[in-house]
Amino acid sequence: MTRPTFHPLTWWIFSLALAASVVRANSPWFALTAVGVMSAIVFFARENAPWGRSFNWTLKLALWIIAVRAAIGVLIGVPIPGTVLFKVPVLPLPHWMPGIRIGGDVTLERLSSSISEGVVICAMIVIFGAAASLTSPHRLLRVLPIYMYEFGVSVVIATSVLPQLVSAVSRIRMAQRLRGQKTHGLKSFKRIAIPLLEESLARSLDLAAAMDSRGYGISKERSRYRPIKWAPIDTAVIAAGLLVVGLA
Amino acid sequence: MIKFSNVSLIYPNSTTTVIEDLTLEIAEGELVLVIGPTGSGKSSLLRLINGLVPHHTGGILAGDISVDGISTATVKPGALAHLIGIVGQNPVNGFVADTVEEELVFGMEALNLSNDTMRKRVEEVLDLMSLAQLRNRAIATLSGGEQQRVAIASALVAHPKVLVLDEPTSALDPIAAEEVLSILHRLVHDLSLTVVIAEHKLERVIQFADRIVHINGAGNTVIGSPEEILMNSTIAPPIVELARTLGLPEIGVSVREMRRMTSDFRSSFEIQKPPSGEASIKPFISINELSISYNGKSALKDISAMIYENEIVAIMGRNGAGKSSLLRAIAGVSDNAFGEVIVNGFNSQKLHSKSRRENVGYIPQEPSDLLYGQSVSNECEQADHDNQVSAGATFAILSQLVPGVSGTTHPRDLSEGQRLGLALSVVLSANPRLLILDEPTRGLDYQAKRTLTKMLIDFARVFNRSVVIATHDVELVAELATRTIFIADGEIVADGPTIDVLLSSPAFAPQVSKIMAPQPWLTVADVVRAIEGRN
Repeated sequence: MTRPTFHPLTWWIFSLALAASVVRANSPWFALTAVGVMSAIVFFARENAPWGRSFNWTLKLALWIIAVRAAIGVLIGVPIPGTVLFKVPVLPLPHWMPGIRIGGDVTLERLSSSISEGVVICAMIVIFGAAASLTSPHRLLRVLPIYMYEFGVSVVIATSVLPQLVSAVSRIRMAQRLRGQKTHGLKSFKRIAIPLLEESLARSLDLAAAMDSRGYGISKERSRYRPIKWAPIDTAVIAAGLLVVGLA
Repeated sequence: MIKFSNVSLIYPNSTTTVIEDLTLEIAEGELVLVIGPTGSGKSSLLRLINGLVPHHTGGILAGDISVDGISTATVKPGALAHLIGIVGQNPVNGFVADTVEEELVFGMEALNLSNDTMRKRVEEVLDLMSLAQLRNRAIATLSGGEQQRVAIASALVAHPKVLVLDEPTSALDPIAAEEVLSILHRLVHDLSLTVVIAEHKLERVIQFADRIVHINGAGNTVIGSPEEILMNSTIAPPIVELARTLGLPEIGVSVREMRRMTSDFRSSFEIQKPPSGEASIKPFISINELSISYNGKSALKDISAMIYENEIVAIMGRNGAGKSSLLRAIAGVSDNAFGEVIVNGFNSQKLHSKSRRENVGYIPQEPSDLLYGQSVSNECEQADHDNQVSAGATFAILSQLVPGVSGTTHPRDLSEGQRLGLALSVVLSANPRLLILDEPTRGLDYQAKRTLTKMLIDFARVFNRSVVIATHDVELVAELATRTIFIADGEIVADGPTIDVLLSSPAFAPQVSKIMAPQPWLTVADVVRAIEGRN
């Protein structure tokens, strides 16, 4: 079975519509459903390419944000009365910071409200992360108008360099394992981050130089070798997206 | 075609001039080679041609550079895209599209060429660079040689009059390199394309060059014919060293010329038998039925081999044959390996921290992966501390390998050779029993290569250690290795003393042996030894 190829803008528009409806509905259950739908689409339709594989990272990032938000939301802030789940010792604060409390009773209500806010925010991240992993950034760049030149350069750099960085991380990790160093934990972060940062800068400059010397952004018009066509299936996807906005 | 008038270049925050008062004219259809020690400004010179320096990098430029009558100071690099094609040192870093075809048309789309023109030119260039089979392939899946061809093709497709290449063969195996160079040679002759190449491995390109620009590092440049320049230069491929050693009145730049010049010399010798080296019998590494596969594609298939003490083993083979996979598996950091590798009695997978450092030293393709310190001395102190050696020991090794490196320099600012030296000293400070190097001579000049060769030979012979090295550099293998393992498609196809393996394959034979065939001499030193033996 050959997979249908979509116009590079299709999934972005669909995601925009879905994100709008998540905001309108403002319900964690709706957000979770949206995340489920998006994930299902990604797992069925993504290509085996660096941007396709980036979705797992998006999901991890989202879970991490929810966890951090829940922890902070529970520990800091105004106490909400309700069912007490457990108690955390209260951190004494100076008298000129009234109304803020760190620690104290953790109630079910507070936990659930923190999590549900987090879910809505993270749904947005997942939805757009899904669009990014469904669309080849290079194809996207080709349909964008030329006056988005600066944007185009950044998109190409970000999307070409990021996947290379993922492989660079494993390469550097391996090298440092060979130097007999630990490669997990906070201390190793610096050892990996520094060579990584330097490499990504060098690579980005190389790429920008390559694009420049091939005449990118010089002509106002840009011709198309294989024009990207808008197909009925694209219209169908967009219609579905708009329908969801209407219903939400 | 290209005209430099009194060009000087200084980078900001730098006290030395990169190029000083260079005047040079390159005619249409010339192939000019730029040579010089690492870090001498070869890349800067190339990037001056289309204005990437100083438009992209900053720096103060005096004098004027014009290409086909257009002064590069007045236009952006992009405005010269129809005139100059430029391929960087590492083509992978310059790819902007996913597939070969999209990459080829990227430049033409940006120049707003009509669809008909693009279609014609794509077909043309696909045929020219023998890429027709690969047109729909994802670039990431191509081998190094293929990627280099795609990079050159996407520069050529805009029909430039000038092609600028920065070390086009440094990452390629000898056969892929030859392919790329012969295509360039054809373009120069058929289309009168002007080509400027920077390259360290002179033995590969010297026969194609019309003229040489030699940058000596202090800003001075000399321009002349290959014979003129190489007669007195410190940068000399084996072919030139041979001519000097034999005291020939002239130097030849191709095997054919040199064979003619040395016919008297060669006929004065009887055909010798290859020397049989004394083999060590103490096994040090044993590789047992090692297989590696990535995503279902197998990289190594059931490899078994023994490596002995004080051997220097070279692993050769095409780009993508599985050399790096094998090295990683020997070092014990390959997560996809099946089978086992025993190094000095330990399963190499299970080594860690101190025992790892003491048994296996590994220099990856990018030596900077090992480095994370903010300065050279910082890096050395960390190594002293890790390996519990006396303070300053690592820096002492470094000064021995590459004299004159300042402790306050940032590792990023070192030249390629110095950085390799630093990584080596860090690894050697643990005094490992086995040293593994992955493609160490990429970007090294002859001087740095000589230092490395001497150091590795000392390491193996004097300290009774083993060295395993993966490389495309046949001249290095000839100088260094006692044994060569040839890998193709994940299997060992040849394994034996270096002299046997190299002489049995014409593509992998070093220059001296091609000139001196059928004598079993691989290096200039072998020839000298034969002369001494006769006297």
